[in-house]
Amino acid sequence: MEIIIILIPLALLLAAFFIAGFVWMTKKGQYDDLETPGMRMLLEDKIINSDKQTQKGEL
Amino acid sequence: MSSLCIHCNQDAPVPFFIVESVNKTGPFCCQGCLTVYNVINLKGLSEYYNIKNNISEFRKRAPVQLNENQYSYLDDEDFLLEYTYTSYSSLPTMEFYLEGIHCLACLWIIEKLPEFVSGVHSSKLDIGRSVVTVTLNENGSFSKVAQEFNTLGYRPHPLKLNQESSELKIQENRSMLMRIGIAGAASGNIMLYAVSLYAGADATYASVFNALTVIFALPVLTYSAYPFYRNSYLAIKNKTLSIDVPISMALIMGAIMGIYNLVIGITENYFDSLTALVFLLLISRYFLKLIQEKGLSTTDMHFFYQGENILKMSESNDNFSVIHPKSIRVNDILKIQPNQIIPADGEIISGNSYLNNSLLSGESQLQKVLPGDKIYSGTMNVSDEIIFKVNSVNKNTRLGSILKSVEDGWGQKSKIVDLTNKVSKYFVAVVLVLAVILFIKGLYQGNAVTAFEHALTLLIVTCPCALAIATPLTFIRTLSKSAQKGIVIKDDAVIEKLSSAEIIFIDKTGTLTENKMRVTEFNIISSSQLLIYSIITKLEKNSRHPVARALVEFCADKNTIELPIEDLKEVAGVGISANINGNFYEIKNYSLFENNNLLAKFKVQDSLRKDSNEAINKLRFLDINLKVLSGDKKEYMEEVASSLDLMKYEYAYELSPEDKAGIIKASKNTVMIGDGANDSIALSYADTGIAVHGAMDISLRAADVYLNLPGMSPVVDLVVIAKETMKVVHRNLFLSLFYNGISVYLAFTGRISPLSAAVIMPLSSLTVLVSTIVGTKELRTKWKS
Repeated sequence: MEIIIILIPLALLLAAFFIAGFVWMTKKGQYDDLETPGMRMLLEDKIINSDKQTQKGEL
Repeated sequence: MSSLCIHCNQDAPVPFFIVESVNKTGPFCCQGCLTVYNVINLKGLSEYYNIKNNISEFRKRAPVQLNENQYSYLDDEDFLLEYTYTSYSSLPTMEFYLEGIHCLACLWIIEKLPEFVSGVHSSKLDIGRSVVTVTLNENGSFSKVAQEFNTLGYRPHPLKLNQESSELKIQENRSMLMRIGIAGAASGNIMLYAVSLYAGADATYASVFNALTVIFALPVLTYSAYPFYRNSYLAIKNKTLSIDVPISMALIMGAIMGIYNLVIGITENYFDSLTALVFLLLISRYFLKLIQEKGLSTTDMHFFYQGENILKMSESNDNFSVIHPKSIRVNDILKIQPNQIIPADGEIISGNSYLNNSLLSGESQLQKVLPGDKIYSGTMNVSDEIIFKVNSVNKNTRLGSILKSVEDGWGQKSKIVDLTNKVSKYFVAVVLVLAVILFIKGLYQGNAVTAFEHALTLLIVTCPCALAIATPLTFIRTLSKSAQKGIVIKDDAVIEKLSSAEIIFIDKTGTLTENKMRVTEFNIISSSQLLIYSIITKLEKNSRHPVARALVEFCADKNTIELPIEDLKEVAGVGISANINGNFYEIKNYSLFENNNLLAKFKVQDSLRKDSNEAINKLRFLDINLKVLSGDKKEYMEEVASSLDLMKYEYAYELSPEDKAGIIKASKNTVMIGDGANDSIALSYADTGIAVHGAMDISLRAADVYLNLPGMSPVVDLVVIAKETMKVVHRNLFLSLFYNGISVYLAFTGRISPLSAAVIMPLSSLTVLVSTIVGTKELRTKWKS
C-alpha cells in the first residue's frame, strides 16, 4: 500500500494540471460559443469531399 | 394543389417554376425563394441543397422575405465610426444580426462569404445568437456584404457593440464556466476519497483523505459557491428569502462542521454531498441561462439600427440621395417607394397611393392618400411612389409616443415571485424551527455539544438540493424545445404566468388574419371560367393596386389564354378598363363587366389565417377566455367574428393602442397576442405579451415571447405545454420535499450520517430528473424534433 504515497500526489498533480488547463482555455475564450464550432466541424468534411480546391485550414 | 417549396420547404399555394426549354425546376413558394435559388446556383453553391436535405434537424422556417434595400449607409464615415471595431489583425469588423438563421446550411453559406464576395477577410457566425462577425480587407465594403446577406435571404441588422456591456457579459459567462469546472473537478476528486472513507480506510489514511477532501472543498465552497452567497445576501438585504438562502446556510454550516471535525480529528464531513450539489446547481442554472440567451436578447434589440434607407431630396438640386432614417430632420423632403415603411410623420407633396395602416392602427383596409394628406411613421406605402415633407421625427411622431408608452408599460409590469422562492420562504422557517427543536431535545438529553452537532447536521442534510434543481431542470427542457420550434421566450417566468392565464387578448389584423389582400369569394355570373380569368390577368397584370395584385395572384394557378388587348386605361380610385376582341371590359367595384354587363363578382379581403379557427377552438377547450381587440372598423371586425363564431362580448373594435392597453390593465392574468405598433402598448402591459411572426420591431421589444412561426397554433401549444411544465414543477417540488422529510426524520432519530446524506441527495436529484423527463408527455408528442 506504500505506493499510494506516490500515487496520491500524482493524482493531485494530474487534477491540478487539468483544472489549470480548463481555466486557461476558458480565459482564452475557447468556450464562448459552444454551439457553432460543433456544426462547423461537420461541414468541413463535406466540403473537402465535394470540392477538392478547398485548401486545408481554410474556412 | 399545395406542394413544398424546394428552397425553404414551406407550402407553395401558388407555385413558381423556373422553366428552361423542357426542364422545369421548382416548385418555389415565392419569387424570393426562386431568386435565392438562382443566386445560390449562380455562385456555384448548389451544395447548399444537398446539405439541407441531409439535415434531419431542419426546421420548417422560411428565410425572411427579401426586399430590395440599399445598404449604402453602411459605408458612411459616421456610421462606421460608431459601429465598427478593429479585430486583432487591425482590420475593420462589424457584427450583424441576421434574420432567418436556422440551420447548418445557413452556417455553411454564410461562412463561405469570403469565397464569393471580394474584400471580405472572414465571416464567422454564432448560430445560437444569429450574429455574424464580418471582418473586411482594406478594399472591402460593408454595404456590399449587407447586400449579399440580403440577396441570400438573411436580412441583416448591423449591431452596435456596446463594448463594455458585451465584454462584461463574456466575462460573466467565463467566470460561470470556471466555477462549474472547478466545482466539477473538486467534487469528483472528493468522491474518490469519500468512498474510501465510507469503505473504512484505516486511521492514518483516513486522516489524510479527510484532509484532502477539505482542501478540495475549500475552493468550491468559496469561489464556486460565491453566486449563492451573493444572491442570499441580496435577498436578505431586500428582506425576502430565496432558495439560495437555505443553500448558503447548508454550505456554511457544512464548512464549519467539516473544518471543526478536521481540527478535532474526526474523519467525517459532508463535503462530498455539498460539492456535488454546488456543481449540479451551477450547471443547471448555467444551462437555463444559456437557453434564455438564445435568439434575440432584449439588450441586443435596443442596438438595432432601425428602419430602411430612405431617398432624400437634396436642398441644392432636385436629386434624391440615399440616407438612413436616423439622419432625417424636420422639413426634409423624402421619396417613399412602394412597400417601404414611412419613417416619419409628415404631409404628402405629390403622388397618390394606398397606405397600409394595419401596423399602426389595426385597420385592414388600405387607406387612399392624396397630396396634402397627413401620413404617419410606421405605416407602409403600398402602391405608388409618394413624396412628402417631414413634420416631426423620432420621439415626436405617433410611433414615438407609442414607444414611450411601451417603456412605461415595461416599468409597471409586475414581476412574479417564482414558485421555488415562494416555497423556500416556508422551507427556511420550518427547517430553522426543526433545528431549534432538535437542539433543545439534545440539551434535555444532556450533552450541549452533541445537541449543537445534531442541529447543525439537520441544517446541512435538509439542504434543498432537489428543490433548487427541480425548476431550472424543467424549464431548461421546455425552453430549449420551444426555442427549437421557433418560439423565443425571453424570460422563464413566462411559463409560470402562461400556465395560469385566464384571458387571452388577440389582435385581429396580422394575427388572426394574414394582413394580406386575398380574393375570398369569386362568383361567376356568366361566361366561362377560362375567359374570365384570362381577361382579369390581362387587365390587371401591370397594375399596382392592391386589389389588382390580389386578383392576379388568384388567377395565377388557373388556366389562362393569351388575349390581344387595346386601350388599357387605369383610373385611380375608379378601376381599370380595356378593349379585347372588340368588347369593352371593365373592372370596378369588385366586379368584372363586359360591355357594361356583369360577368363576375368577387370579394377581396384580408383573409383569416388557416389555423385561426382551430386555434380559437382549442383555447376555448382549455377554459381560457378570449377577446379579440381590433383597431379595425366595426364591419370588418364583425365579419371576422362571425366566421370565428365569436360571442358579442368576445370582441371589440375601433380601439386605439391606448384603449387596448386600458382593457388589459383592467383584467388579471392576461395574455396579449399581437403584431403591430398598435398592439405594442398592450403587449407591454399584459402579464405575457406574445408577438407573432412578422411583427414589427417595436412589438418585439414589448413582448415576452416571439413566435418565429406564422399563425396562432404555436400559442395554443405553448399554453398547453406551459400548463404541463408547471405540473411537472409542482410534482418535482413535492418529490424533493419528500426526500427532505426523510432526511429530517433520520436527523431526529439520530441515524443521519454523511453516508446517508450521500445516498439521499443524489437519489432525490435523480428522481427529479426522471420525473422531468417522463412527465413531459405533451412536450414530447407535440414538439417532436
